[in-house]
Amino acid sequence: MSAKTNASQVVSVSVQGVVTPPRMPPLPAMPYSLAADGNPFLLPAYGSIVYNVSVGDSAYGWLADCVHPGVSVKMEEATGNRGLNVLSCVGNTAIVMTGNAQRARGTVTGKTGRFSEHVIIDFDQDAREQLAIGDKIVIKAKGVGLSFDEHPDVMLKACSPELVEALEATTNDEGKLAVPAVAAVPPHLLGAGAGLFSDGGSIHIQTADGDAVKEAGLDGLRLGDVVALTDYDSSWNHGYLRNAVGIGVIAQGDSPRAGYGPGITLIMTSQSGNIAPMIAPGVNLKDLLL
Amino acid sequence: MALATNAERLVEMAVLGYVSQPTVRGYIPHANGESMILPGMSGFIYNARVGDAAFGWAADHLEPGASIAHPDLDADYAMHYLTCMGNSARLMSGLAAGAEGIVTGEHARLLVDFPPDVADLINVGDAVQIRAIGQGLQLADYPHVTLKKCSPNLIESLPIEALDERRIRVPVTMELPVRIMGSGAELNPDFVDQDLMSGDRALMAELGIDQMRLGDLVVINHADHRYGRGYKPGAVTIGLCIHGDSVMTGHGPGILTLMTCAEPCIEWTIDPGANIANYLNIREAS
Repeated sequence: MSAKTNASQVVSVSVQGVVTPPRMPPLPAMPYSLAADGNPFLLPAYGSIVYNVSVGDSAYGWLADCVHPGVSVKMEEATGNRGLNVLSCVGNTAIVMTGNAQRARGTVTGKTGRFSEHVIIDFDQDAREQLAIGDKIVIKAKGVGLSFDEHPDVMLKACSPELVEALEATTNDEGKLAVPAVAAVPPHLLGAGAGLFSDGGSIHIQTADGDAVKEAGLDGLRLGDVVALTDYDSSWNHGYLRNAVGIGVIAQGDSPRAGYGPGITLIMTSQSGNIAPMIAPGVNLKDLLL
Repeated sequence: MALATNAERLVEMAVLGYVSQPTVRGYIPHANGESMILPGMSGFIYNARVGDAAFGWAADHLEPGASIAHPDLDADYAMHYLTCMGNSARLMSGLAAGAEGIVTGEHARLLVDFPPDVADLINVGDAVQIRAIGQGLQLADYPHVTLKKCSPNLIESLPIEALDERRIRVPVTMELPVRIMGSGAELNPDFVDQDLMSGDRALMAELGIDQMRLGDLVVINHADHRYGRGYKPGAVTIGLCIHGDSVMTGHGPGILTLMTCAEPCIEWTIDPGANIANYLNIREAS
């Protein structure tokens, strides 16, 4: 049985986003980004409706820069988008309110950070075929304020009560919260997102050095995988701190850029190290929630 | 003797900004959960200069000297990308018009040191013009070492040693482990700095990082800052401490990239005097 939470006291609130178009910088800026080796590249990046990449697929190998699986939503007005990005939690239900896919339901699978600030939603293939950029989607946001009754030193972020239940996190013999994860990311491989806000946004695994990624056991990651962050405190921002432990989900795909790679949406953090990751294969949102 | 460069081929161009009004972030959460309001970003700082401590101030992201910006975003970006460390600056308006300063950092705004005797005469809004030169600068015999935001003035003043055909040696005050490099990883390495993460206070003391001074040269081993700011075994980056410490997780003193090489071709020696205040005679001149 999962560790107990205060889920019955957590408020569920409506937040709205609009299916966002992919964006490129205006002229005279070039559309290229630079890879870690300095080569310019032009590839699809974040946003929009992605038809052929889904949670459960590999996080690597796509010809894309931090691809968002499924559907990305945003609100153009900044404070409204902040509400959308902060209050939405992984595992929340999303409902299409306008357009041809009206009434279709999906599930929040991640959030992204500085420069995009989207919420990523999984919809089935039928719904994706019917959706249009500009369609309005409401998320039944629930999870901000959630905490564990017996683990006050573990903070939950962007984590729905449903995801906590599905993870079956339990208290181990040492009194720590034991959470399953497919791998642990060492601090030297955590890049973009350091120092940024941890209640929304993302922290990226950096993958320019393939050997280091392989050595850490991160080369087989799938979108939706649950991972641990070693020696990283994400209580208010993301940052290095010995013994601190975080838990997150792989929300975005790999990137050719330096400092970037698969993007993690943080769901739990313990500054004092009271999370014990239990490393096992196959801990993925596809099986946990979808 | 200074290493050969292509400095005589560089173009020197004026960019202009205005002394800014301080900004306040509101309550800043400490790593320990307390929150406080602190000064730091923007404005003109009377009592902290390059050469002073980077840690210990009751401030967040303390920017020494005058922080200048341009209200037109395109012009502001041009100032950011064209200005190099060690460029000369001059007040063009106000009571201290004509006073000479020197560029010592690039953060959200450009940071310019002015002599203390003109401090009381500087007004928010005064125009500061910079003679921007340095973009395109290369070490003639070491093209595999990328220079960023180095003015010819700065490069000529640094005691860089030529070791052999591939390797140079640079004095630094300390080495920073790559695992503590934080906020700024998401930005391109030609724009502003990357904070070292000072949240592990015990580690700062163990490694002596808390002794850092504004203007210090530092080395980050295994960091490749050519086209981003990332981890690469064997790469070496030399940085400049441009702003003070922060209470925010993932933040700390700001390290601006000066030199970077994808291979282990930049060696270093530890020298407590490796500070641009010494190399550019910033505090002696006033």
